[in-house]
Amino acid sequence: MTTRELVEKIRLKPLSKFEPREVDGVFVSDMLSDVMAHAKSGNLWLTVQTHKSIVPAANLVDVSAIVITSGKQVPQETVDLASKYNIAILSTELSTFELVGKLYGLGLGTK
Amino acid sequence: MSECQHKWEMTNIQFGFMVFEKCSHCNGLRTYFSVEDNPILGDKYREGDCFWSRVENAQSFQFDLRCKKCNHLEKFEDLMGLLHCTGCLPDCEVEIQRKKYEAQRTWVLVAFGFLPKAKTEPIPPHKLKILEDYFNQRRDTSRSRIAILSFNLIEDLSLCKGDFIHDVGMLSLEPPEERKPLF
Repeated sequence: MTTRELVEKIRLKPLSKFEPREVDGVFVSDMLSDVMAHAKSGNLWLTVQTHKSIVPAANLVDVSAIVITSGKQVPQETVDLASKYNIAILSTELSTFELVGKLYGLGLGTK
Repeated sequence: MSECQHKWEMTNIQFGFMVFEKCSHCNGLRTYFSVEDNPILGDKYREGDCFWSRVENAQSFQFDLRCKKCNHLEKFEDLMGLLHCTGCLPDCEVEIQRKKYEAQRTWVLVAFGFLPKAKTEPIPPHKLKILEDYFNQRRDTSRSRIAILSFNLIEDLSLCKGDFIHDVGMLSLEPPEERKPLF
């Protein structure tokens, strides 16, 4: 499933400019150190963090997209940096828990 | 010299805190890794002529890299963290290199060693290359790549407003031009 397909299926709101790519697994964390240590290339990263530091962290581990949950407001600085790095920042009003349920239902994160 | 085409993986991962301390007497700065968020000595203490105060405590982690093929271990206990350049100093060598690399879809990060030791003994180039190889092996390099530069390319540390990739100040919405320099 691609990031573009996910946007349509779960009605995520794209905030940054990005090229669609294949999603491979899901990673949930609000700690950059945790992401750097454990996230995998292609993972969909779910977080409530919106500081622009999430962009270089996401870029470093090559996640497919960052989904900001719980309707958290994302600063324009973060969105602009993500667009520059071609990293998708998607937004949802759903809580992380609710979103994980939907993603699991779509077969993501299961092997 | 090893002929192994190393395939690296992270190992010996230890979560903890990067501690930044400043001396009010000599204005010296030092950084170190601690597994405790409240080091035994506390926020302020005296050490000889130095009066140290903790200025920042960031959640971070340390790790080593091991080759999955030959089992060679490369330790990174001298790596304090990775910094994302915000382009605050146009004449800084990091900023100059960053622009060149970005034209090739290569994103630059700056590796810091622990201060003050790293000022005279920076992380050796071969270790920066290993770190770079590791992060590039971890990604689809047909889309983009990572380049790791040494912090001693930074024009003036006291003016640098780069962002460390660690967990502190995550609620800050301050634009870079209003931010106080790191050091």
